[in-house]
Amino acid sequence: MDTTKEKHAGPVVRKPVVAGSVGAPHSAVPQTQQPSTEPSPEAQQPPRKSSLTDPIVSCRRLCLYYGTAQALFDIDLDFPRGEVTALIGPSGCGKSTLLRCLNRMNDLIDGVRTTGNLLLDGEDILQPNIDVITLRRRVGMVFQKATPFPKSIYENVAYGLRIAGIRKRSVLDAAVERSLRRAALWDEVKDRLHESALGLSGGQHQRLCIARAIAIDPEIILMDEPCSALDPRSTTRIEDLIAELRGQYTIIIVTHNMQQAARVSDWAAFLYEGKLIEFGPTTKIFTAPDNKQTEDYITGRFG
Amino acid sequence: MAELRYCLAWKRPDGSFQPGETFASFAEAATALSAWQPQSHSGALSTQEPCCTDQVEIWCSCQDEPATVLSRPRYSFVVYGTVAGGGGDGSEAAPWWGLQEAITGLVELERSGQLALRHGQRLRLCHREVFATSAGQKRKARAENIAKTVFMAMALMLVAPVLAILVYLLVKGWPALSLSFFLENPRERMTAGGIWAPLVGTFFLVFISLLLAAPVGILAGVYLNEYARDNWLTRIINLAVVNLAGVPSIVHALFGVGVIMFFAELRRNYGIWVPFEDRCLLAASCTLAVMTLPVIITSTREALASVPMSFREACWNMGATRWQTIRTIVLPNSISGILTGVILQVSRAAGETAPILLTGAVFSVPVPDHGWRAFVPYGLHDRCMALSMHLYTISTQVVNVPEHVEYGTAVVLIGLVLAVNSASIALRVYLRSRKKW
Repeated sequence: MDTTKEKHAGPVVRKPVVAGSVGAPHSAVPQTQQPSTEPSPEAQQPPRKSSLTDPIVSCRRLCLYYGTAQALFDIDLDFPRGEVTALIGPSGCGKSTLLRCLNRMNDLIDGVRTTGNLLLDGEDILQPNIDVITLRRRVGMVFQKATPFPKSIYENVAYGLRIAGIRKRSVLDAAVERSLRRAALWDEVKDRLHESALGLSGGQHQRLCIARAIAIDPEIILMDEPCSALDPRSTTRIEDLIAELRGQYTIIIVTHNMQQAARVSDWAAFLYEGKLIEFGPTTKIFTAPDNKQTEDYITGRFG
Repeated sequence: MAELRYCLAWKRPDGSFQPGETFASFAEAATALSAWQPQSHSGALSTQEPCCTDQVEIWCSCQDEPATVLSRPRYSFVVYGTVAGGGGDGSEAAPWWGLQEAITGLVELERSGQLALRHGQRLRLCHREVFATSAGQKRKARAENIAKTVFMAMALMLVAPVLAILVYLLVKGWPALSLSFFLENPRERMTAGGIWAPLVGTFFLVFISLLLAAPVGILAGVYLNEYARDNWLTRIINLAVVNLAGVPSIVHALFGVGVIMFFAELRRNYGIWVPFEDRCLLAASCTLAVMTLPVIITSTREALASVPMSFREACWNMGATRWQTIRTIVLPNSISGILTGVILQVSRAAGETAPILLTGAVFSVPVPDHGWRAFVPYGLHDRCMALSMHLYTISTQVVNVPEHVEYGTAVVLIGLVLAVNSASIALRVYLRSRKKW
C-alpha cells in the first residue's frame, strides 16, 4: 500500500544517503529484503525505507563483559535512521545491556568492559575520549520504571534544558509545551504544569518521561520496556506516541511483548544468550524468520 | 486376646459422647460413618475445640470387658464438610475433603497397618468447616502474639530508663530550676548562682565544632557515595571512617593534647603560624569536630543512598553531569537525612566531657555578668567552661554544692540533648512530608 510513497525520500532523514556508506555486509543481516516487497501494515507518514543504506548506529563486533562473564558476543547490527527497531529475546539475553551500551550507561557499573566498535554517525562512541555528557544528550533513554523527579511537571520537562544552561523563560516555555504536545500529554496537564509530577498516573508518568527525554531533542530514543508496568490503555497511548515519533527520532525499543514489537517496530533484532540471532524487517521476522530459534521464540515455543 | 469390638460414639450437644452401634471390624465401623450428618456451627462444641464443628469417635474395646470412658483419642483426623478439593491425608494441616474420602482413607490406613486400635483406645474424626481456623493456625497465632509481646516489651524497656532518669532528675533538681538559674553565672565557689557561663561555653563548643565538621563530613559523604568507585582508595577511606568512629573519646582528647603540644612547638621553634598553641575553645572544638566527623560522614552517605538510583540514571541520561545531578536531584531529596545526622551530632558533642576536659574546658573562668561581653564571654583562644565539664566539677571536685544545683545542671544538660534530638526528628518529619516517590 505504500509502494508509491517509497519513492520519496523520507522527510526527516537528517543526513543525505551516502552511497557506499553501508557497513560491510555481515552474516547476521539477511540481505534478501527488497524495498518494494515489504508491506507496511500501519505506517502512514514516513515511508519505510527497507534498506540499511543509512544506519545511524552501527555495532561492529561488539562484545561486553561484566567482570569475567561475557554478556554480548560479537554483535554486528545496524540501526536504521529515523525508524523503530525492536530488540526482542528472552530475559537475560543482553537486550538491555546492548541498549545501555548505546549511551554508555554501562559505564556506571563497576567492572564492565567492552570491545569492538559502536559507531554513531561514523564516530566510535566506545572510545574513552568521547564526552558522555554530549553523547547522552544525543541518545536519550526511557526506562522501564517511570522516574518523574519530585518536581513540578514543568520543571521535569524543562530539566534537560536547564542543566544545559538555558534560562530564558520563553525558550523553556516553548520547549515544554512542544515536548508535552509531542508526548500527547499537553491537554491533560496544561492547567497544572506547576503541580507536582508525582500526582500524575502511571501512564502519564511514562509519557512525562518521554516528554522529558525529547525536550532536549535527542537523535535517538532508547526505550527499555517502556510499557511493561502499564495497563493496556496507557500502553496503547505510548505505542501511538512511538508511531508519531518515528521519523523524527530513531527509536530503539526493548520489549518482551511480541505483539507490541510487531505493532510498533519497523525492524526487529532477536537476541539469544548474548548473540544476535536474526535481524531484519519486523514483518519478515514475524512472518518468515530465517532462523528456527527466532521462529520458536516468536511463536512461543521457546524451550 | 479377646475379640475387639468397634463402637461408634456420636457427640451430644452437651459435649459428651453417646455410644451407638457396635461393629466387629474397623472397616465396618468406618463405613457406617457415612450415616454421620455433622452438625455445623454447633455452639456447644466451639468452646472446647473451636476449629471443629462436630466430632465422631470410634471406640475400641475387648468383647468381654466393659467399654470404659477413655481419656484422650489415640488417633485424631480431620475432615472438611465440603467436597471442594481433593487429596489430603486427614491430618490437621491437610484434612480429607468430604466424608466419603475420609471413610476410604480410614479403611485404607487400617488395612495397611498404619492405624491399629487396641483395647481402650479411641479414634476421633473432627468435622471442620473449610474456612474455619484450624488448631495449627491457632497455635501459629498464639506464637505470633507471644513473639510480638516479647519484642514490644524489649522495645519498651528502652523507654523505662529514659523516663526514670528524667523523672528522677526533674524531681531532684526542681528547686534549682528558674530563669535566673540559666542567666546567672556561678558564684561563691560554684555553690550558688546559675549556669550561664558553662551553658554559653557549650553552645560555643558545639557551634564551632559543627562549623568545622559538618562541611567536611557532608562533602566527604557526597564524594564517597556519589563519586567514589569501589577501589583501594575508597576502601581505605571507609576503613578510616569506621575506625575513627570507634576511637574512645578520651583518646581523642589525648590526641588533641598531642596536637596542641605539636603546634606549640612549631610556633616556638620555627615561628610558623598555627591555629592554636594552648588549651582553648578552638582546640576543644577541633577535637569535638574530629570526634563527630565519622558519624556525619556515615549518616550523609546513608541519606544519599536512600535516593533511588533511577533518579540519577534519568538525570545522567539527559546529559547532566554528576555535580548537576547531585545539586538538582540528589541533595534536595536527601537533605532531611543529612541534616538529621548533623543535628544528632550536636547532642553528642554537647554531652561529651572527655575530649574537652584536656583540650580547652576548665574548672572556672571569670566571666562578666553584664553587657555584651556576657553573651560572648570567650574568644577562640580563651579557655572556656562547658556544661558537661561543669557538672563533673560540681559533683566531684567542689564541696558543699547544694544537691539541687547539681541536679538542676544535669536537667539542663539532658534537656538540651533531648531538645536537639526532638528538633532533628521534627525537622525530618517536616522535610519527609514534602517529598514522596
